[in-house]
Amino acid sequence: MTDLPVLAKYPFLKESKNYVKENEISIDELLNDSIYERARLIGIERLDNAFNKRDVGNRALATDYDCIMELLSYPIARMITVCIGDIYFKRSYALSEAVHSYNYLINESTSNLIKISDEFKFNIKYDKNNKKFLIYFTDYLKNAPTRYSQWKMINRVMENGYISLSSKDFTRIIQEALRSRINNELDTRKCSKIINESFKSDIIRLSKLIEKHRKKIEIEPMGSLDENKLPPCMKEILKSIQSGENVPHMGRFAMVAFLNSLKLNTSEILQLFSTAPDFEEEKSRYQVEHISGKTSSTSYTSPGCDKMRSYGICPTEKMDELCKRYRHPLTYYKVKWRNK
Amino acid sequence: MDGFKISNKSFEFLKNIFKDYYKNNIIDLPDRFGRREFAFLFFNGKGMVRHLSFNKKIIFNKFLINRYPAHCYYSSAYYTIPDAPTMQEKKWMGAELIFDLDSDHLPNAEKLNYEQQLNLVKKEFYKLVNDFLLNDFGFNEKYIRLYFSGGRGYHCHVEDPKILHLDSSERREIVDYITGRDLKEKLLFSEKITNTRKLKSGKNVPIEKTLIMPKPNEPGWRGRISRGLIDLLDEIRMSNDPVKKLQEYGVKNNAEKLISDLSDERINRIKEGRLDQSKTIRKFFLNNVLRKTAVTMSAGETDEPVTCDIKRLIRLPLSLHGKTGLKVIPLKIDELKEFNPLKNAVALPEKSVKIQLNQKFNIIMNDEKFNLHPGENEIPSYLAVILIGRKIATIE
Ligand code: SF4
Repeated sequence: MTDLPVLAKYPFLKESKNYVKENEISIDELLNDSIYERARLIGIERLDNAFNKRDVGNRALATDYDCIMELLSYPIARMITVCIGDIYFKRSYALSEAVHSYNYLINESTSNLIKISDEFKFNIKYDKNNKKFLIYFTDYLKNAPTRYSQWKMINRVMENGYISLSSKDFTRIIQEALRSRINNELDTRKCSKIINESFKSDIIRLSKLIEKHRKKIEIEPMGSLDENKLPPCMKEILKSIQSGENVPHMGRFAMVAFLNSLKLNTSEILQLFSTAPDFEEEKSRYQVEHISGKTSSTSYTSPGCDKMRSYGICPTEKMDELCKRYRHPLTYYKVKWRNK
Repeated sequence: MDGFKISNKSFEFLKNIFKDYYKNNIIDLPDRFGRREFAFLFFNGKGMVRHLSFNKKIIFNKFLINRYPAHCYYSSAYYTIPDAPTMQEKKWMGAELIFDLDSDHLPNAEKLNYEQQLNLVKKEFYKLVNDFLLNDFGFNEKYIRLYFSGGRGYHCHVEDPKILHLDSSERREIVDYITGRDLKEKLLFSEKITNTRKLKSGKNVPIEKTLIMPKPNEPGWRGRISRGLIDLLDEIRMSNDPVKKLQEYGVKNNAEKLISDLSDERINRIKEGRLDQSKTIRKFFLNNVLRKTAVTMSAGETDEPVTCDIKRLIRLPLSLHGKTGLKVIPLKIDELKEFNPLKNAVALPEKSVKIQLNQKFNIIMNDEKFNLHPGENEIPSYLAVILIGRKIATIE
């Protein structure tokens, strides 16, 4: 028999999806049948919590009924998010689901952790003597938040291609893997008409909230930076950072070095980044200070267009006239600024 | 990668000698060659011809004979449509992990001669392959291919299917690991309380702490730093003039004091893993160990290594380097030490030719010593190619 509480806690598992399939619950029933009223309510609750608390929230899982409703609320919440469509919200919803699972996972036994991580097909081993998870470095690289220095591979113990992790850190890897999977799902699926109709009022309500939040962020003063004058590359990177997308190291690096050259100080740069759903002040501060030369011997220079291009962070399809004329994002910005 | 303009006769000479080479040698194509982009530079000095693809070996070899390129490259990446004109249309499918260690990128290399430069690169290359790729990363030797570049460096291609899909920032992480970037001292050395005192309240407070360093047999960077520290200490203490040795390492003012501080007892404590030296001394040791054990891939921190570029063109094995006539030759890791490019990578004929040299030039090639003076010289073809490539000789 399937263990219902497990499925309810981890609705992303294949078994959880199978449960819905095996019980032949149709989307029509899910949306209209009064039995599932509670699942629909929890679905909305997940989203409100995601918006307000960055965690989709805990509910009692005492009875089978509780568990089934919890489990079914997950696909509902996900489908609604797709219909809301806002990228910032998608990112923060995915993060909230992942954080929620993390909070359950952190209390799981080793064998359960391994079982659940199977979902992501990691190449792992368990070192019983030292109570460590050994994960192959490519899986580590795909999922670890290496933008933080303690997660950089160099600050980890690697032997024969396997990186050893405490169970807490391994859980974090699962969290990240889950987050990027949900992000992926949210980005590739299309909004279904029935969902859009059934949850119309909530979709409108949430969209308004998100819009308001966004406005608030945008009005806040940005130091001396005029975002409209940013070159296409920096616009893209900034947008991704602010919406919490996973920005490659080189992108973050280029952005900070660029802002640093424009004489924005650390706190101004941090303020710009702080809208990211997963923004962590301390860690970001460390990175920014490192790149701007406060905590390292060198202050890095902002890369030119050639370098940007070779790193795939120049959006060539968005290049404009100014891009073609100049060879450095800084020049681009300065020229645009002068020609107000 | 730019081509170069040369006199007509020199041009004819290079053209014929390259043509012959490609006539007499079958050049193997890389795995999945049909999915790769190929690119060439020719002796005519015009720009690079790119976005070519070949689906049959025989067509490729014909191409080499007919066009006798000065430089041949192929993409480390493979694509759905390798000959599409733009990167987007090509559709990236994966790429090998490439390391390109060239003395051009090493700090201060320009002060050294060719041989010294190559030795410098060799050292770094050995560390890269042995200490990192085989050891820490645990790659199977069968997936690792090593080449002399034909110029001033060495290339390593990792072909393990597990790494083909890594993106550029993931590769960047690998480079950071290998070059020792962002190693956090705090995570390396841990504090341990060695003595405590009981307060009246019954609480224990630490009164003595020591810094514990990793053990030499620990895996990865921890063991590497530990071993490096012990080696460095031994090197300094065993040297005839430890103070001078320290000064060579850049310690300016307090070398004497440092040496007197390094009593036997202290050293033993360090070897046992307790590194309770002052912060500056620790930093000094750590930085030097890092410099010795990490791989230097580029001159400056922002000079980005090839490895992160997932669409990079690399030199085709067994092809000739247009500026030296030396062959891009595969090597085994244990052959590296003895490898001498000016002998082992010589691919062109001995047949002598007359050249006009415009400066003095000394070189040992194919075990033969050449002391050439400006003016007319009769020398083997393989040497002539190098001199023409350096623009110090022509054929009249
Ligand atoms: S051309 Fe330069 S400034 Fe324009 S988008 Fe690309 S990198 Fe940015």
